[in-house]
Amino acid sequence: MNQILLITDGHSNVGESPALAASRALAQDIVVNVIGVVDEGEAGRIGAEEIESIARAGGGMSRIVQPHMLTQTVQMMTQQTVVGTIRMTVNKELRNLLGVESVAELPPPKRAEVVRMMEELSETTRLRVALLIDASASMRPKLAAVEEAIRDLALSLQSRQGESAVAVFHFPGEDPHVPCVLDLPWTDRVDGLGKLFRNIRMQGTTPTGPALQRVVEYFRETCGNIKEKTEFALPPHGREDPDVMESGDVG
Amino acid sequence: MLLKGKWNGHVYRLERPLGAGSNGQVWLASRGGAPCALKLGLDAADLQGETNVLASLERGSRDRPSFLLDADDARLGGRDVPFYAMRYVPGMPVRKFVRRCGSGAFKAAGGHLLDRLAELHEAGWVFGDLKCDNVLVAPGGQVTLVDYGGATRIGRSVRQFTEIYDRGYWRAGNRTADPAYDWFAAAVLWIHALDGERLLRLTRSLPPQHRHPRELMRLVRSHPTLKSMEIWMRMALEGRFGSTREASRRWRECAAGLGGGVPDGIPGWMAGMAGATLALAAVAAVLWFSR
Repeated sequence: MNQILLITDGHSNVGESPALAASRALAQDIVVNVIGVVDEGEAGRIGAEEIESIARAGGGMSRIVQPHMLTQTVQMMTQQTVVGTIRMTVNKELRNLLGVESVAELPPPKRAEVVRMMEELSETTRLRVALLIDASASMRPKLAAVEEAIRDLALSLQSRQGESAVAVFHFPGEDPHVPCVLDLPWTDRVDGLGKLFRNIRMQGTTPTGPALQRVVEYFRETCGNIKEKTEFALPPHGREDPDVMESGDVG
Repeated sequence: MLLKGKWNGHVYRLERPLGAGSNGQVWLASRGGAPCALKLGLDAADLQGETNVLASLERGSRDRPSFLLDADDARLGGRDVPFYAMRYVPGMPVRKFVRRCGSGAFKAAGGHLLDRLAELHEAGWVFGDLKCDNVLVAPGGQVTLVDYGGATRIGRSVRQFTEIYDRGYWRAGNRTADPAYDWFAAAVLWIHALDGERLLRLTRSLPPQHRHPRELMRLVRSHPTLKSMEIWMRMALEGRFGSTREASRRWRECAAGLGGGVPDGIPGWMAGMAGATLALAAVAAVLWFSR
């Protein structure tokens, strides 16, 4: 499962539309989430509409938060995206196999079994999150909060049973042909995270769309054919499972 | 308000709301005149995760009275709402308990809390989101854990946690569920319950890179009541117990004033310091012998 998390505080102003780039990512099964980070009194500055439209096109969610809420928001979005993606896959299978619209329609014992399997998948599925950080001048004072949020996310991913990795990019790059710069290639370790954004020099533009496009290419270069299907199989009927609540156990 | 289960057919009368958890509301209810607590969920899959934990705990404890009574859906406001019914246990959240019963009463409650955690751990689960609001204490000190939304199989990543109770936040370890994850949160819980203002002030003023269990220990040592539990607190924050039963035994020893020493074994973050001390000792020994 692949995700891009864009953290920004302003409007894009160069290159293709970021929403278009996000829709291309989604077409490659990469979900794009967006966080707008603002200081108090700055709320009007941010392009709320742009942030929403990028997330919508990228099949993800968007939030505008203050720096102290960044860590929690990054956690929440990443986790909800995993759970949501698995739910969608499972509900689709339930429609095909059993003709019900969602888990909620299953009788309690069956529901218990399917939910257990969904949790298993959330924990074990392979997960890659690429963070794309807007490092323009107005973001500078917020980069410490961004670094802490990345460290915290890496810690949570490292605690999973499934294979997990984060990568970090910032944008813009130093010259107009480089929309974004790779700060940290895929890693599953927290310890290796030093200071991420130490010597950032860049031009004054905000090429959000081209930067997103570049991150999608990075996925393709490093992960090969990334269109993968989540493995899914409904448990066979009548299987005795010690963790499944039998209706006779309650009431 | 009446509520009828769609699958199992039991009828409940909702009396009054008891509180709101992370993923639903808990009501005091009655079924056939007997009181119970009823949790109404916001999302079927989400609530089912919690029901699964409770159901698996039931299996390990045939000899004790059942905690989970029913799990079903009910028609409410034109849509199906998932719910489960559990045994009603009167009690109040920890901070209220401490305010009402005095800060000395926490010693009895602390032992009971660790007993509840030991049962959970022995069944293969970690509670995860341990905090003052999720622990109900009866006036006699008996403890009930509520809101199992964070309960996680040992070895998996903790499903839900609260920042200031989380050992990852304090840079004291990862978020893989193990009994020590709950010990850490239990130590923070008592700091929060007895010295909440200073704890919150600390979390607001401390830059992330300086978060460390030693900051929590500073609060413990400078608090009149917590200070008596210093040895236990340190062992809990460093994950130094052999088991949760041992944590519970040592809590009671500490509470009775029989603290004893901290057993051998050096936590990772102290290893450097200890190494330096050892080196110094070696130098001293050499000097001694060469005299």
